[in-house]
Amino acid sequence: MLAISIMNGLVMGVIYALAAIGVSLVVGIMNVINFAHGELYILAGYFSYLFASAMGLNFVAAMLLSIALVFVLGILIEITLIRPTYGNDMYSLILTFILSIVLQNAYLLIFGPYPNKPPLWVKGATDVFGLFFYGNQRLAALLAGAAVIAAVFLMIKKTWFGRIIRATSQDREMAELNGVDTTRLNMLSFGLGCALAAAAGVILSPVFPVTPNAGVAIALTAFVVVVLGGMGSMWGCVVGGLLLGLVENLGAAFISSGYKNVFGFIILILVLLARPAGLFGRAKI
Amino acid sequence: MTRKKLAATAVITIAGMCVLPLGLGIYPQHVLITSLFYVMMAASWNLLAGYTGQVSFGHAAMAGIGAYTSGILAAKLGINPWIGVCFGTLLAALLGLGLGSLCLKMGGIYLSLTTLAFSQILQIVIVNEYDVTRGTMGLQVPGLMGDYSKLHYYYIMLAAAAVILVILYRMIHSNLGMNFRAVQNDETAAAAVGVKVLQMRVLAFTVASAMAGFAGALYGHYLLLITPEIPSLDLQFYVLAMTVIGGMGSLIGPVIGAFTLNILAEKIRDYGEYHVLVYGLVALLMARFAPNGLIGIWQRFKPVRPR
Repeated sequence: MLAISIMNGLVMGVIYALAAIGVSLVVGIMNVINFAHGELYILAGYFSYLFASAMGLNFVAAMLLSIALVFVLGILIEITLIRPTYGNDMYSLILTFILSIVLQNAYLLIFGPYPNKPPLWVKGATDVFGLFFYGNQRLAALLAGAAVIAAVFLMIKKTWFGRIIRATSQDREMAELNGVDTTRLNMLSFGLGCALAAAAGVILSPVFPVTPNAGVAIALTAFVVVVLGGMGSMWGCVVGGLLLGLVENLGAAFISSGYKNVFGFIILILVLLARPAGLFGRAKI
Repeated sequence: MTRKKLAATAVITIAGMCVLPLGLGIYPQHVLITSLFYVMMAASWNLLAGYTGQVSFGHAAMAGIGAYTSGILAAKLGINPWIGVCFGTLLAALLGLGLGSLCLKMGGIYLSLTTLAFSQILQIVIVNEYDVTRGTMGLQVPGLMGDYSKLHYYYIMLAAAAVILVILYRMIHSNLGMNFRAVQNDETAAAAVGVKVLQMRVLAFTVASAMAGFAGALYGHYLLLITPEIPSLDLQFYVLAMTVIGGMGSLIGPVIGAFTLNILAEKIRDYGEYHVLVYGLVALLMARFAPNGLIGIWQRFKPVRPR
């Protein structure tokens, strides 16, 4: 029971971290929270279901295509809805919240209230250290999630684009003075944040089928992870995600499964009480 | 508008509202009563978003706190519903004070995140604590009066909405309202001239939460069955859309938004459950192109009368 809970916690933790990195990236650069983050996750799940199950594409091609489509959609959202709100954080909160409700209802209309899921990548289960059998699909999700997170870290630490991102989240005006086109950067990073939500969606949807409203819980978890780790901190996302995944699953196993999502909220309140800037966050000067 | 003219308009409107339901059937009366509930919700949410520049996604949750507190006290302990309404309002205010002072020191985004989480958690707790709340089945509660008459409920809700609007009007047109607006426009400048920014934000959130709790408690005793629908994100969205479409930052905007959307929803429902999607799209367009809502559009095209 303990071992399998820890294993579940790790798998969920990696996925939480993946979902949260997208939010954290956008907050760090643009100081905008995308409340439709969970709905884009769900959209990618629906896309990969459509492409793989209904149109018979190879599952890898279906996943990549879904992520690319959500990336483009994210850029469109930034241009049409977010860009006019620069300098007024409140409007972006309201707009993305309305967008999330619109998307939920559109999914309900198009796909119906039933859960949908793309086909599994791998079948069967593996014996983990002789302790328990664990579904291969979940193990694959763990690896894929870790790989995407590693890729994001590499991009931020090693590439020129990553350097621009770091510069802008540290000091926006200074980056602009050094010739960074922050408008274009905003557009790309918002798209990238959405694409990361989509990556989490396509990786997790074979395990947890998507429903029109399932995005709310995903987004909330991502937000809790971002606050826990510290807004804009990438390492905070990884540590916070793993921590939350473990706490939720151990709590569900040993305290009460109905209250699984409440543990996240308790953590959120405790963080706000004890260390409002988060584990890795910089305190406001 | 001069003070006299304003008072005259208010008296005429209230008199008109008093006679309005007399000739109507039970169903239109019901629509009017729910509209009045939404007027209270949207007007108080507007105090946050329109006057102090902070977005709460837990306004419906606060209405749920009011409804369930009052409902549980009345149904389980047999306490008079009117006393229950007071307790519901009080608890919502206390929660607003707690959540507000916890997250507002970190800035507005934290309030939005925390209130969203709060409303989801409340939903989970209500569904799980079946013994106390009857979960999704809904909690049956006694009415406010011995006999059940739509007309009486209409007048109670009308009086409540009028009281809330008057309180909001007095607040906004006082020093306090000036402080709120200063905080909304420029936090740093407000702090520099001696406005206690954090206190103003927490105060606005507490007052708005208390009003939501009050509205929710009355609404629960009108419906006689309290379900997790009240503290849901759908209702939250509805209140938000009414405020945005009606006109944020004006006292009358949310009132117009509440009546328009709630009455139109009944018409759209004839064609299916599309009203949420339609309102979402309209609200998106409004927030993007006409941030002052219907009121703003009207003011822009209002013919300028020569003086």
